[in-house]
Amino acid sequence: MGAKGDSRVAVAALVAALVLFGIGCAKKDSGKRAVVFWQFSPLTAIQPIVDRFNADNPDLAVQVEQLTWQSGREKIVAAIAAGRPPDLCELGSTFLPGLVADSTLLDLTDHVADLRPSLLGWNVASYRGRAYAIPWMLGTRALYLNDDLLRRAGLDPSKPIETWADLARAARMIATKVPDAKGFGMNAGEREILIKKFMPFAWGNGGDILDSSLTRSVVASAANVAALRFYLSLKPYSLLDRQEMHEEAFAKGRLGIIISGPWLLRKLPEEAPGLHYTVALMPKPAADRGAPASFAGAEVLGIFRNARRVDDAMRLARFLVRPENAMPLFLSTGNAFPAASASSADSYFVSHPKDAIFLRQLKTAVGPPLHPRWVEIEEIVNGELEEAIYGRKTAEAALASADARIDAVLARQP
Amino acid sequence: MKRRPFFGLAPWGLCFAVFGVFPLAYSLILSFLSYNPLRPDLVRWVGLDNYARALASPAFWHALRTTAIFVAGTLPVTLVLAYTVAALLARARRGEGFFRAAIFFPATLSMVVISLVFKSLYAEEGLLNGWLGVLGLPHIHWLLDVRLALPSIMAMDVWASVGYYAILILAARKTLPGEQLEAARLEGISPLLIERKIVLPHLRPVLLFVVLLNTIRAFQIFIEPFVLTRGGPLESTLTLVYHIYERAFYHFEMGYASALAFLLLLLVGLILAVQRRLLGRGSAEAPAA
Repeated sequence: MGAKGDSRVAVAALVAALVLFGIGCAKKDSGKRAVVFWQFSPLTAIQPIVDRFNADNPDLAVQVEQLTWQSGREKIVAAIAAGRPPDLCELGSTFLPGLVADSTLLDLTDHVADLRPSLLGWNVASYRGRAYAIPWMLGTRALYLNDDLLRRAGLDPSKPIETWADLARAARMIATKVPDAKGFGMNAGEREILIKKFMPFAWGNGGDILDSSLTRSVVASAANVAALRFYLSLKPYSLLDRQEMHEEAFAKGRLGIIISGPWLLRKLPEEAPGLHYTVALMPKPAADRGAPASFAGAEVLGIFRNARRVDDAMRLARFLVRPENAMPLFLSTGNAFPAASASSADSYFVSHPKDAIFLRQLKTAVGPPLHPRWVEIEEIVNGELEEAIYGRKTAEAALASADARIDAVLARQP
Repeated sequence: MKRRPFFGLAPWGLCFAVFGVFPLAYSLILSFLSYNPLRPDLVRWVGLDNYARALASPAFWHALRTTAIFVAGTLPVTLVLAYTVAALLARARRGEGFFRAAIFFPATLSMVVISLVFKSLYAEEGLLNGWLGVLGLPHIHWLLDVRLALPSIMAMDVWASVGYYAILILAARKTLPGEQLEAARLEGISPLLIERKIVLPHLRPVLLFVVLLNTIRAFQIFIEPFVLTRGGPLESTLTLVYHIYERAFYHFEMGYASALAFLLLLLVGLILAVQRRLLGRGSAEAPAA
C-alpha cells in the first residue's frame, strides 16, 4: 500500500473514531434532566434508593457514581478544577473544612431551615452559623471490651467501664495478668487518626482545640494536658499499632479494649464468631465529672458553587436524608447511622443493642470545628500527639507546641 | 515517501504531546502561580516565590533528606544484588528458565500489591515476627519504629526491583563473546580477574543504564510510603514526592507543589548528568535512559 493508501486508512480510522466518540457523547433524548451524584457507598446499596427517587421524580434521571476513599478526594478536586463537578456530592466531614475555606460549596442555610429540626450533626456541616452541607450519615466510635480477657484478668465483665480509672485498671490488669495479651489499643503509625483517638478524652474532660469563637487555640489547657497525661499512662499496657491491627488483635482475643466504630460489629461475627465482647460508651474522667465524649464523623451532602442543577440536587438530597431512605443505606453498609433523628426509633436498634450503644454515643460525640484552617490545625495536633506517644515530648510540651503553632496558623487567617 | 516515517510516528507523537509535553509545560507554568484548584478564579502570578518558599522550608529539606537516604541506600544494594543474581543465573546449568522467571516475577506486580503484601509481612502478628518468635527473638515493630520504617521500605523496594535489573544485566552478559572468555580461561586467568577485566567492562553500558533508571525511580518513591506508612512514624518516611502529593491534594497548593516537582526534576537531572559523566567515562555509548 502506498502513501495515498495509508492516508485513506488513517482518515477512515479518524472518521470512525469521531463517529464512535460522538455516539458515546450523545445525550439521551429521554426528556429527563440528568442529576450527577457522586458518593462512596457500594452501588448495590445506593442504587435501590436512587431508583425509588427516579420513580418518584419522572423528570429527573440520577447518574450515581461510586468514589473510593483512597482516590475520591483527588477526583473531586480535579472535577472542581475542570469546572465540571457533580451536582450533588457526598463528602466526609474531614474534607469539608478545606472546601468551605475555599468557598467551593454553596451556602445552603436558606434552603435547609425546615430540615434542621429533623437532622442531627449540623455542627460538623456549619461554619459561623451558616450551613454548607446537609448531614446524611453520622459515625462515631465507642469502646469494645473483650469479656473473656476481662474475666481472665480477674475482672467482672458485667460491671461497666465508666471512668478513666476503670479503663486504666482494666487495661493494666489484662496486660499484667493474661499472658500474650495487651490491655488497650493505642494508635501508632497512622498519625492522621490520632486526633480522633485522643480528643474524646480531652472533650470528655471539658477541653477543646479552639475556643468557642474559633479564633484562639485552647489546646494547651489544663483539661487537655490532664487528658493527654492519662492517655499516655495507658501506653505501658497498650498495643501500639495501626487501627486495623488493633481490630485484628481484638478479634483474635489478644487485645482487651479498643476504640472502634460500628464497622467492627459487622466484621466480628465472621472473623471471630466465638468472641464474647461488650460495646460500651467512652469513659468519663470520673463518675461525678465530665462526659463520655467521642469523635463524631459525618457523611454530608454538598453542592458545589458551579454545579449545574442546584434545585434538582437539593430535591435529591432532601430525599436521601429522609429516615426511610437513610435507614436502608445504614442496613446495607453498617458503617454510619442516619442523621435523621427519627431513625433512632427504628425497631432495628431494639433488636441490636450494640448498635444502639453507638446511637447513645452519638449524643455526646463531638465533631471537629468547620474551620477554614482545619487541615493545618489537625496536622499540627496529630504531629504533636505522635511526638508525645513516641516519648519525644511530654504531654505539656507537646500541647504547648501545638498551641503556639495553631495560634500562628490562626494569625495568618485573612 | 519521505513523509511516511513521520506519519507513522504521528500517533505516538500526538500521545507524547498530549500526555507528556503539555502536562510538563502546564505544570512549569503552574510553578510560577499561586493556584488553588478549588478556586481557579483566584489564580495569580508569583514568579519565583514558590521556589524560594520551598528552599526555605524545613519540610522540603526533611523530605529531600529522607529521599536521598532512600536513594543512597537502595541504589548500590540493588545494583550489587542484581549483578550477583545475573552472574549466578548466567552460570546456572539447569532450571535457568525457572529461576529467571522467578527472579523477574516481582517486576510484573503492581507496587501497590507488593506494598500490601509487605504490610502484612511487617505487621506485629505478621510472618516476619512469626519467624522471630519461632527463633525465640522478640517482635520487631518494622513500620512503627522510627529507625526501622525507612529501612523496611528500602528492603521491600530492593526485593521488588532486583529481578528486573538482574534480567537486564543477564541479557547483556549473554552477548559476551564466548571465545574471549574461553581464551582467558585457557590462559589460566582467575574467574575474579575475568569478571573484573572482561565482563565488567563489557557490562558497563548496561550498568550505567541500570544506575540511571534506578536513580530516577528511587527519587520518585511514593506508593510505598503512601500504602505502608503515610509518611510516618514521625515523618521518618516522608519522601519528596509524598510531600508534593500532600501539598497538592491536602493543602490544594498546586503552584507550590509544581515548584517542588520541578526542583526534584532539576535535582534528578543534575545527579543523572554527574552519574553519566562518572560512570560513562571510557565506556561505549550507554542506551538512552
